[in-house]
Amino acid sequence: MKATKLNISRRGLLAGCLATPFVSMMPNVLMPAHAAETVKLQFMYPVGVSGDINTIISGMIDEFNATHDGIVVEAIYAGSYDNTEQKVITSLGVGEPPSLWLPINSSLQTFLGLDALEDITEQAKSDDIYDDFIGGFLGTAISSDRLYGLSFQPSTPVLYYNKDAFAEVGITEAPETWDQLFETAKALTVRDGEALKRWGLIIGGGWHDWMFEGYCRQNGLVPWEADKVLWDRPESVEALAFWKTMVDAGCMAPASTWQGSANDFMAGSTAMLYHSTGSLTNLRTSSPFEVGVAFMPKRKTWGASQGGGPIMIAKKQSDAQKEAAYTFARWMTNTENQAAWSRATGYLAVRKSSWEMPEMQAYLTEVPQAKVAMEQSAYSGAFLQVPAYSKAREVLKSAIDRTLAGEVQAEAALVSATDEVNREIARVLRRQQRG
Amino acid sequence: MSQNLGRIQRKEMLLAYALLLPSLVFLAAFTYWPIVRSIWFSLNDVLLGDPDIFWLGAENYLRLLNDRLFWKVLGNTAFYTFTSVPLSIAAALLLAVALDSKLRGMAFYRSAFFYPVMIPSVAAGMVWVFLYAPGYGPINEALTGLGLPRLDWLYDSKWALPAIVIMSIWKYSGYFMLILLAALKLVPSDLYEAARLDGVSAFDRLVHITIPMISPTLYFVIIIGTLHSYQIFDYVYVMTQGGPADSTNVLTFYIYQNGFQYQDIGYASALANALLIFVLGLIGLVSLTLGRRVHYLGER
Amino acid sequence: MALDTPLSPEMTAAPPVARRSNWRRALKGQWLHVIMLPLSLLWLCPLIWIAVTSLKTSAEVFDPAAGFFPATPKFSNYPSTLSVAPFGKYLVNSIIVTSSILAGQLVTITLAAYAFARLNFPGKNLLFTLFLLQVMFPIYAIFLTNFVTLREMGLVNTIPAMIVPFVASGYGTFMLRQSFRQVPSELSDAARLDGCNHLEILWHVYLPLVKPTLLAFAIISVVTHWNDYMWPLLVTNSEAIRTLPIGLGLLAKADSGADWPRLMAGTTIVVSPLLILFVIFQRRFIDSFMHTGVK
Repeated sequence: MKATKLNISRRGLLAGCLATPFVSMMPNVLMPAHAAETVKLQFMYPVGVSGDINTIISGMIDEFNATHDGIVVEAIYAGSYDNTEQKVITSLGVGEPPSLWLPINSSLQTFLGLDALEDITEQAKSDDIYDDFIGGFLGTAISSDRLYGLSFQPSTPVLYYNKDAFAEVGITEAPETWDQLFETAKALTVRDGEALKRWGLIIGGGWHDWMFEGYCRQNGLVPWEADKVLWDRPESVEALAFWKTMVDAGCMAPASTWQGSANDFMAGSTAMLYHSTGSLTNLRTSSPFEVGVAFMPKRKTWGASQGGGPIMIAKKQSDAQKEAAYTFARWMTNTENQAAWSRATGYLAVRKSSWEMPEMQAYLTEVPQAKVAMEQSAYSGAFLQVPAYSKAREVLKSAIDRTLAGEVQAEAALVSATDEVNREIARVLRRQQRG
Repeated sequence: MSQNLGRIQRKEMLLAYALLLPSLVFLAAFTYWPIVRSIWFSLNDVLLGDPDIFWLGAENYLRLLNDRLFWKVLGNTAFYTFTSVPLSIAAALLLAVALDSKLRGMAFYRSAFFYPVMIPSVAAGMVWVFLYAPGYGPINEALTGLGLPRLDWLYDSKWALPAIVIMSIWKYSGYFMLILLAALKLVPSDLYEAARLDGVSAFDRLVHITIPMISPTLYFVIIIGTLHSYQIFDYVYVMTQGGPADSTNVLTFYIYQNGFQYQDIGYASALANALLIFVLGLIGLVSLTLGRRVHYLGER
Repeated sequence: MALDTPLSPEMTAAPPVARRSNWRRALKGQWLHVIMLPLSLLWLCPLIWIAVTSLKTSAEVFDPAAGFFPATPKFSNYPSTLSVAPFGKYLVNSIIVTSSILAGQLVTITLAAYAFARLNFPGKNLLFTLFLLQVMFPIYAIFLTNFVTLREMGLVNTIPAMIVPFVASGYGTFMLRQSFRQVPSELSDAARLDGCNHLEILWHVYLPLVKPTLLAFAIISVVTHWNDYMWPLLVTNSEAIRTLPIGLGLLAKADSGADWPRLMAGTTIVVSPLLILFVIFQRRFIDSFMHTGVK
């Protein structure tokens, strides 16, 4: 019963499965820890912020492997969030999922629909997870009171602003309400005759549905429930109508792209930008002016949706692997690692204890902008955790775009988008019940 | 005699099949089998990542007929194909003819026009996002310099697709140019000499000698260009993700979205089969209209 | 004009006029430069921008005040790009993958194209259409099935997984068939009378004459597979077998806007081998095939 080191074939996994009950009945008796079979784990992750993350993650994994006898983690870079999800799902389809992966939190229902996730509620409860994790972050991996992952790299959208441009027009404070946002955007828009020189505001395209959910939350509505979306509610229609007003006033770009909008900000083509907190380091260090960061302006309340993702653990693997996988996920999210990860990337540390560390306090003094994102996360929640979220996002983006381009009215667009998405969700749920 | 001829024909037939066999083995495994599976998938409810499949019959196809976005996407695809293919082939033909000579600096020109083909699409897409930036992008600066109005390009649902068409001319003209150049090398040079001596103008030489002589390759390039116009996927994926307002969503991207992003393999397969029918129709059209006029130098 | 009548030798030999035509040709060349030079510079703009940006600091890229060129070229962007992923290993893998695909394709397409161009057999048109299906069917619709097939063959996460799906090429077969049909049948008839069989004719008569096409196809095949991103990303897991575009993806697929200087440095690194090869080969392309036209 000795598996060779290189063997990660199915036979190896099978042997692992068979051996598990035996080993767990007599832990550490027959086999001392170092002689036990090495558990091999594959971990698929995306690279969201910069290429250096690849180096950082590899470094973390090397450290983990060096300090944990009996577990070997192989880190697999899997592209963007989308690519990662697709790669994981493709391997799920052939029955060989990786042990752990790091998707975007919105995919929770998708993976639950495939019955792919290990429930880690009990382990987490007997651990310090529920006490030390910041509630809003932990919540992104919870469905029906069960926990399915450990939040690793959460982000929210924030309002970035060009302090030099603000100074030019004599504005000292970032806007705090929608009305102020509108006024500020108008004041900062620069036109040379017909030609636009600088927009007041750009909402990062490609993820503008994510910002839009923030607007709904600011207007007092979480625009989805477990099995439906609520974009046709008045709060949501009002939010879109507000965007349309800003576009019609010529102070907000009608559309943009994710990369393009970040460039526009750095090049001074827009004075304000809604973008991810994950972009903080890049925008701060690449902009030739001082970058301000503020809460997204509120209406009834502050509000934001969480991006970023938790580390999830596969259900379909041996108990030994699950155990090892939890150990790994736990280690990646421990106090020191979260503090280091947060400082290196601009993502928010998920543990209260991380924020209390002296290094983090020093970091916050040096980069006060990071604190804003942290404080805003107190008003944030999970992002669009419905089945078929991916399709829902595309439909909403299209509805927003068409409204802002003047092709349809806000209400008509949102009502038909809600209809279409809710039909799709119902279809997916029907399918899950059959399966 | 006729028996003898029969044997020769049979020998030729066997040889032909033997020559096709290596290709067919790989095509069967990696093209035909997936197509057969996709026909089967299109009649079922298939979810990526889930081994269970459920019979639907024609439902995916009915859904397709009622899918507003599908028709828009089909329109976008047709627009892209019917603009980018003629434009980039026309540009390529002119470049190839101009560069088919022994002039100084031709090596430089050839490289200058071909290099875009070599730039990875991820990088090329990102660079063009910058070039098209409404506020500070060089293209808008140039338009202003020429006294023309500035455009919002990728931020405007009316201009986003034309912007990608323009970019694809930059990216693919060099590709077609290279193939056409290879064909021009097969044209006997004395034909041009003769025509030139006869005082035939450059334009007439192009229309009456060059184009007929390289018509097989031109035909090839038109067909391949039409098929390759689906490579637009890369740019849509990198630059616009189909937006704004679905204005740059094309069939290949829509298939990718449905199959991989939404995990709806059944519907994606139905779309793929619809695309196949669309393309077969186009190719049939091209081969019926142009194919008959192709002149092969080696055949009479 | 009767294009297919062979030209008589006396038509080309007219010395006094020929000199004038050379002079005119030279003039025509000058005139061409007037158009081609600005046009090629326009074409080159993005490349120049890529090269210049790869030497900037990230704060300089979008600073309108910073000017077009970097204040001091930051060559350290290159080592810092290379540190993101094992690019050396990726380079070796890319070379293995693209050259294996090309080698396989050259064999399969040459054989198949000859059959389609010069042999008669039942089902020829149908089979040709079947070859073209490969080019017509959208790649994303076959990804899933091919992934499953490769897994059953035990090839997932191996180098052959990036090669075998592309060994046959309907595209290359079509391209080469067109060229073969351009070769006058008198040539092969003559060879057959000399006692050559089909394979000998293919090797000695046809292949030398279609070298430009083979080279054009080779360039295109290499470029396509050199830059392929999605398929290698899906079928590979280990760093040891991954290819260059995946390294580039690390720099481009960012949540936060691209890491411009390093993305452009990475692009330069990935493109350079191709660019150098092209410059070398296009020289040969011109020199060895200039007017070898079939006469």
